[in-house]
Amino acid sequence: MGGAMPALIFEGVSHRYAPAGRPALANVDLAVDEGELVLLIGESGSGKSTLLRAALGLVPHFHGGELRGRVRVAGLDTRRHRPGELARHAGLVFQDPEAQVVMSHVMAEAAFGLENLGVAPSEIHPRARAALEMVGAAHLAARTTRTLSGGERQRVAIASVLAMGPRVLLLDEPTSQLDPAAADELIRTLIDLRDRHGIAIVVAEHRTERLFDVADRIVAMRAGAIEVDAAPPLARQALAGMPWLLPRAPAESPPGAEPADPVAMVTHASKRLGSTLALVDVSAAFGRGAVTAVTGPNGAGKTTLALAACGLTDLDSGIATRTGRAGYVAQDPACYLLHDTALEEVEYGLKNLGLAPATRRARAVAELDRFELEWAAAEHPRDLSSGERPTWWCSTSPRAEWTAAASVTWRASSAVWPRAVPGPSS
Amino acid sequence: MKPLPAALVTIAVCTAAIALSNPLFPAAAAIAGGALLAAAGPPRRMYATFAITTGLTVFALEPFVAVQGLTTLWRGPDIPILDTQITTEELAYGAAAGLRIAATALAAGAFVRLADSDLLLRAVARVAPRSAMIASLTTQMLPALERDAAGVLVAARTRAARVSHPATAAHLMGPLVGMSLERAVAVAEAMEARGYAGPSRSAAPGRALTARERVLTGLGASALAIVLAALVTGAGDFRYFDLLDDPWTAAAVAGSSALAVLGAAFAWVARCRP
Repeated sequence: MGGAMPALIFEGVSHRYAPAGRPALANVDLAVDEGELVLLIGESGSGKSTLLRAALGLVPHFHGGELRGRVRVAGLDTRRHRPGELARHAGLVFQDPEAQVVMSHVMAEAAFGLENLGVAPSEIHPRARAALEMVGAAHLAARTTRTLSGGERQRVAIASVLAMGPRVLLLDEPTSQLDPAAADELIRTLIDLRDRHGIAIVVAEHRTERLFDVADRIVAMRAGAIEVDAAPPLARQALAGMPWLLPRAPAESPPGAEPADPVAMVTHASKRLGSTLALVDVSAAFGRGAVTAVTGPNGAGKTTLALAACGLTDLDSGIATRTGRAGYVAQDPACYLLHDTALEEVEYGLKNLGLAPATRRARAVAELDRFELEWAAAEHPRDLSSGERPTWWCSTSPRAEWTAAASVTWRASSAVWPRAVPGPSS
Repeated sequence: MKPLPAALVTIAVCTAAIALSNPLFPAAAAIAGGALLAAAGPPRRMYATFAITTGLTVFALEPFVAVQGLTTLWRGPDIPILDTQITTEELAYGAAAGLRIAATALAAGAFVRLADSDLLLRAVARVAPRSAMIASLTTQMLPALERDAAGVLVAARTRAARVSHPATAAHLMGPLVGMSLERAVAVAEAMEARGYAGPSRSAAPGRALTARERVLTGLGASALAIVLAALVTGAGDFRYFDLLDDPWTAAAVAGSSALAVLGAAFAWVARCRP
């Protein structure tokens, strides 16, 4: 970039959320030039999200804590400028699309940031519409945000930030809830933003297959520090000792099996969510011992079908029948927690089944052991990695004869997931 | 709908309920508030339950805490703190107070459901950005709370929990409240990340009122005009103590009837598909 100041600079940055806590960032030095795409990888809790928040000044202005070193965005020191001012230059797409929706309508959501920046009124809707088109969400413009699926909400969240035209774009697991086609489209959009508009882009991702080789640099973090900062080929070598951070090869499909013994059947099912038809005359059978993949674009009704098959949602018409107890793994199993430790969550199901305290404690420990998560017994479920959460959640339904899972494989590390679904679950 | 018509009719109902003494006006306001809430989209039950139970509680308590009125209906045993001499005037005052609270709660609930929260947020943000943030959090919290409650319910049911009635669902309240607080922080962070409370602000061009919204604005303005007229002319005046006035004056009957009819008409037009 010919000696021009990088768009984003971290100089010896350390941060602790609490004075006595472990450092979330430890002496981070990082510079991202305009027109550069950086892929940020690392295990859960390695500091990726904190780094992105620090880049927009949310750390420390919003979250507090103790920040050392200096972060500059477009030349502005984040200690002297609040996120509201920095938003003119940098945009952040958060990990959880559910938690970043501000407005009730999609168009208003896409326009929200532009209004905050004081953009001329005549430009607001065209720019919002263009951003929605950029992420394939133009057809959602008239919808209310509460009726969107997880993936649709994520697209709208990305569009809302893109509409603001940031020079530095920060994305925290942006493809986590997108269907494969939408994820590919987003990556193409990011490459286009980098190449044609010279935007500096930092993407924190667990699902690195799409980005690893198109990124300019790979930055791997561990315990708040940068372990590797290199171009993709060199990073691949440097990360040989941490293969779980490298892109995964597609998992081999298990041998196909006819669902001769259906454990769940949905017949002519229809279901309306608000003004949206989630299921329209859907019929499907799910067989014992078989893994059935339900695929489709965001908003196609996959989650609603899974919920219907498990008997967890009422149908407007049609019939859902099942045999045995069903387990259900939500899109992010750590979202809806009832207890503070992984072990207590497992015990909860056993308690509801009427087991005595001593028996259920022993059984819960055994369940965690069965899923190779015995070490996590005292951990808060949110502290488990995104790959471990679905596996752990399976252990919370110990008597489930079959399991429906919504969008789990994208988060599950290949090292964990296939071996961690023992027994008859599918 | 745009906030203007909903705001006009809500102000009319709340003013009638709070500022006009004649019990016919709080009664008419409660009818109008109920009709408006019925016209609003779900969830309505929560608002209706809150309004009715609060109104009934006030009505039940008022005679035991007030020591006024000359027309004794019943005298109970002496109990410290409580007044066990119940008078007609206290009952009438309690009924009016209960209606005031119920009408206000019903109208406020209807306003939240009827007015477009995005347009409302935009309008409030122009004059009071901090209040707008709270308003946004509030409007987002209810749908988010519904989604979270559904998620928590699924999480519990997949693990054999029986949560068919409130008593068995009580243990889920703690996690749900904790989740809501986290959600509020996350939304506030998202707002700040997108430049909220920054140095400058603009607004996307708003659309004009539709024909239906113009009719609703007219109905709301008429209701407000009637209430203000009753306030200015004294048609809504009434004395509860020491003896009750006669509420059935021509002006009060006409004014309260008009308010109830206009409120019901507003609700009917609001329910009609555009």
